[in-house]
Amino acid sequence: MLIIRDLRKHYGSQLALDGVSLEIRRGEFFGLLGPNGAGKSTLMSLVAGLRQPDAGSLALDGVAVTPADPATRAALGLVPQSIALFEDLSAEQNLRVFGELHGLRGALLRERIDEALAAVQLADRRRDQVKKFSGGMQRRLNLVASLLHRPKLLLCDEPTVGVDPQSRNAIFDFLEARNREGPTVIYSTHYMEEATRLCSRIGIIDHGKIHALGTLDELLTRLPFADEMTFPATPATAAFAARVAAHGELATADGGHRFHPHAGFRTSAFYALAEECQLPARLFVAGRPSLEALFLHLTGRTLRE
Amino acid sequence: MRIILTLVRKDIATFLRNRPAVVITFLVPVALIYIFGFVFGLNARDSGPAGIRLGVVNASDSPAAQQLVDALKAEKTFRVVTADPTVTPGRPLTEADARRLIHDRKFNFALVIPSDFIPARGVGLRLRILSDPRNEIETQTVNGLLQKTIFSHVPQLLGQALQAGARRYLGDVRTDQFNSEIAAAVTGAFGGDREKTRRSLEAGGFGALPGESAAPAAPPAPDLFSRLVQIETVQVAGRDVKSPAATRVVGGWAMMFLLFAVSGGSAAFFDEKNAGLFQRLLSAPVRRSQLLWSRFIYGILLGLVQLTTLFAAGRLLYGIDVFGHFGNLVVVCTAAAAACSAFGMLIAAFAPNAQAANGLATFLVLTMSATGGAWFPISLMPEFMQHVAKFTLVYWSMEGFSQVLWAGSSLGELLPTVGILLAIAAGVMAAAVWRFNRGAVFD
Ligand SMILES: Nc1ncnc2c1ncn2[C@@H]1O[C@H](COP(=O)(O)OP(=O)(O)OP(=O)(O)O)[C@@H](O)[C@H]1O
Ligand SMILES: [Mg+2]
Repeated sequence: MLIIRDLRKHYGSQLALDGVSLEIRRGEFFGLLGPNGAGKSTLMSLVAGLRQPDAGSLALDGVAVTPADPATRAALGLVPQSIALFEDLSAEQNLRVFGELHGLRGALLRERIDEALAAVQLADRRRDQVKKFSGGMQRRLNLVASLLHRPKLLLCDEPTVGVDPQSRNAIFDFLEARNREGPTVIYSTHYMEEATRLCSRIGIIDHGKIHALGTLDELLTRLPFADEMTFPATPATAAFAARVAAHGELATADGGHRFHPHAGFRTSAFYALAEECQLPARLFVAGRPSLEALFLHLTGRTLRE
Repeated sequence: MRIILTLVRKDIATFLRNRPAVVITFLVPVALIYIFGFVFGLNARDSGPAGIRLGVVNASDSPAAQQLVDALKAEKTFRVVTADPTVTPGRPLTEADARRLIHDRKFNFALVIPSDFIPARGVGLRLRILSDPRNEIETQTVNGLLQKTIFSHVPQLLGQALQAGARRYLGDVRTDQFNSEIAAAVTGAFGGDREKTRRSLEAGGFGALPGESAAPAAPPAPDLFSRLVQIETVQVAGRDVKSPAATRVVGGWAMMFLLFAVSGGSAAFFDEKNAGLFQRLLSAPVRRSQLLWSRFIYGILLGLVQLTTLFAAGRLLYGIDVFGHFGNLVVVCTAAAAACSAFGMLIAAFAPNAQAANGLATFLVLTMSATGGAWFPISLMPEFMQHVAKFTLVYWSMEGFSQVLWAGSSLGELLPTVGILLAIAAGVMAAAVWRFNRGAVFD
């Protein structure tokens, strides 16, 4: 449905996209996973026809997407990364404006607005000004505002930033339900949990390049190791961390170490080393390899860097 | 078009939801116009106390001088002081008193009618205006008002001066004879009572005898003077308009507030852009230029409502005749609002960010208001500045307002002015759209 060929984009001297090629199939829930500054939003804006690429091509159902032709954007819905709502207007007024811009009128528009507000549990706040909403409520409205016209392709640019886990789950359910009804979704995030839960296919992006592409399982088989070990990063574990780093990849984030052993470094050797450093076994949690591990393996840095 | 309508409705809804914006756009300008009314001594309702204090020294025993003093007393903008307020019981002011009192800032202006008010030699009147030129604009206003008051009594005064001169040069007998002959000739040619006309000439009044006119400030009876000399239209233009100065003040400040309002609109553009709203809007089937056009139209509507409010306030506060030419006024206001709104769009299209837009807007609004005559009449400016003024939309808007409210021009007469304003709007908008389509909206 969407074919992207060798897309390049510079901002002045800053290279944001460095030859991205992607093919998104109809009905897919495609995840774009990458850290800050990877180029996710830039890619989204090019797909949405907001910016002109420096090089490369973009075609939606065989029609080139360009900023010059608004008609090509009719089948598209963009959920911007920032909250793009008229904050002085009520939730309902906002939806009315965006619906009308997509050519919806009258009874159909009213119906879609009611539906959308109900879907994100904002029906009872419909007449309140958006600026009086909490951040999470604004996020939810920001999301449904792009869905009124039932786009064929929905672009969600980190739509859950700052949303509590409960609302986040509600958004996930909502998006999955929409996706089942037909629209193709491209979903950018730097949360691997989101990509793991939602996406049927994932592209890992960093420094404007797609580093890996495939289903979650396909991606994980590319990891050279089967397990990972996590343990707290404290002064007590510092010496151990330094020694074990010689036998695998060690990443530190959120007060914890995550260790991926090189092939051949056995789990028993790991625990032996821990005992030498007088660390109890209960400090260590063995886990399945994750997207994060893959990311680290591919790019040499963690997702939240 | 539907897209533009939707966006305009959105802007209006946003505006109405934003109460401080409503207050700033409508109430503040009205309040300021009211305050400036005091500054310029325009408040029609307030007689006496609110007027500008004007010392009047009358050293002449001519009845014409007394008439002039009475006329000034009747003028609402002045609070005439004829007696020294610092001593009791008050005695009539002398010129020395007036100078001292101006120095002590008891008042800023004094009119001296010297004893040779109607001079022994030569023709004309002698008056002296003493002023403390601390506030130049006030000085200009007061001078203007004094001249207006004196000028509307000039037929009478000048006539007396002429009669006095005639008696000196011709002698009593020949002057009487001359008056009789003129009266005969005039009544022969124009009709009227010969004896009355003769007496009228003698009194210097050309028409209205002192005893016959009810008030000193009453317009000359439609008698001899009006039949002989056709300068009426010139005077009438100024006299029909109840507050000529108010027309200018209200129009000028209205233009400035309008410019501020629409350039505020251009800053709101940047808010939308920063909030990512442009991304959402432009990812819908909306063109960049449609964003600009919708704001432009919104600016015109806002401007039109704001100008109407201000002129309505002008009607209430200063009795400006707004409703007499309402249709034409709306035409001029629309053209002026279009030109202002286009300027707001130009700023939005060229400025890199909201701060720059605000700075640029403030600079442009103040320069255009000052040079275009919103603050003081451009006739007070150096000649080359008067030419510069013609390049500002403020100048042409003010021109349009005074054509409608002062001269009562017809729609046909207004066309050139309205045409220039619309041409400014079209040209500026073309530049804005061109730039906005090419500019970096997101980067
Ligand atoms: N408007 C801009 N002007 C200049 N450089 C930009 C602009 N937008 C993005 N960049 C640069 O382009 C690169 C990619 O940015 P982009 O916003 O696409 O990243 P992202 O993956 O969306 O990051 P995040 O997760 O933080 O949203 C970054 O290096 C960024 O600094
Ligand atoms: Mg981003």
